[in-house]
Amino acid sequence: MRGPQDYGGLPAGLVDPVKNEHEPTHWERRVDAIMLLLFDPKRRLARVDESRRMQEALGDDYHKYPYYERWLQAITWLLLEKGVFSQEELDKKREEVRARLEAERNG
Amino acid sequence: MSEHHHDHLNATHTHDGKPIQNDEPPSIEAESLETAVRELLMEKGVITADELRGAIETQEQRRPELGAKIIARAWVDEDFKQKLLSHGDMAVRSFGVDMKPTELCVVENTEEVHNLVVCTLCSCYPRAILGIPPAWYKRRDYRSRAVREPRSVLSEFGTIISEDRQVRVHDSNADLRYLVLPRRPPGTDDWSEEDLTELITRDSMIGVSEAITPGE
Repeated sequence: MRGPQDYGGLPAGLVDPVKNEHEPTHWERRVDAIMLLLFDPKRRLARVDESRRMQEALGDDYHKYPYYERWLQAITWLLLEKGVFSQEELDKKREEVRARLEAERNG
Repeated sequence: MSEHHHDHLNATHTHDGKPIQNDEPPSIEAESLETAVRELLMEKGVITADELRGAIETQEQRRPELGAKIIARAWVDEDFKQKLLSHGDMAVRSFGVDMKPTELCVVENTEEVHNLVVCTLCSCYPRAILGIPPAWYKRRDYRSRAVREPRSVLSEFGTIISEDRQVRVHDSNADLRYLVLPRRPPGTDDWSEEDLTELITRDSMIGVSEAITPGE
């Protein structure tokens, strides 16, 4: 069965390499750095196959997520599954962070 | 922590030297999730702010220029080239590159064969050598079509491979990463190793283009 990630050979549009090229944003670099650390030998909290399993679990939503948002969602689920933090801790922290970011953006 | 490194992170260029700025903030959803995860990881002692800064710097240092040095060495040193083709992981160690936990497979372009690298399932890429993959490499259009109609895809990069050369497509995976060894351009026999690196672009090591031919 073809999963949502399995694009190989399907019809698709032009690659447009000029348009689809940008240096990573600061935010993307932060997500990338978090991933690098979680994958490293010191922590080994994530592996490529585990992360892919989580991304593929997105199902049809897979296509809707921009690349780094998909990775971020995958590692978040992985960290929850591994008990690094709980859903309650994440929800609480996220609410607090969101209020702070909104204040920053509006300020 | 990003503010501190703002100027440094901005000092980046594309493979052809044009600076590109992209500092658009992500959605509040995405930014709040990333910030929450990062702060929880720090509070729990899983990662430190120093480690995070270090990781960003590590990624910054992994740029296609490193790959160009490896390819230029292979062009001037036959023994190194043979080692690179047979035991890629070991050969790149002399350039300070650690491929672990993945393996490196270097594929050589010849008069008969042109190689193209893709990852249809995700975005596997020799990041330890070339850095973060370009956005198009991670997008659906490239991933879908590179394996079905590689010559059309190549033409979208302005690369025309003559019909008498075979186009071989390599689908990367979680454990195995490919790097293309492009053909050394004609008219460069007396070029130094250092000068040769200027002809080797990121795209030529992915296989969507060939190395730059001087004067063209």
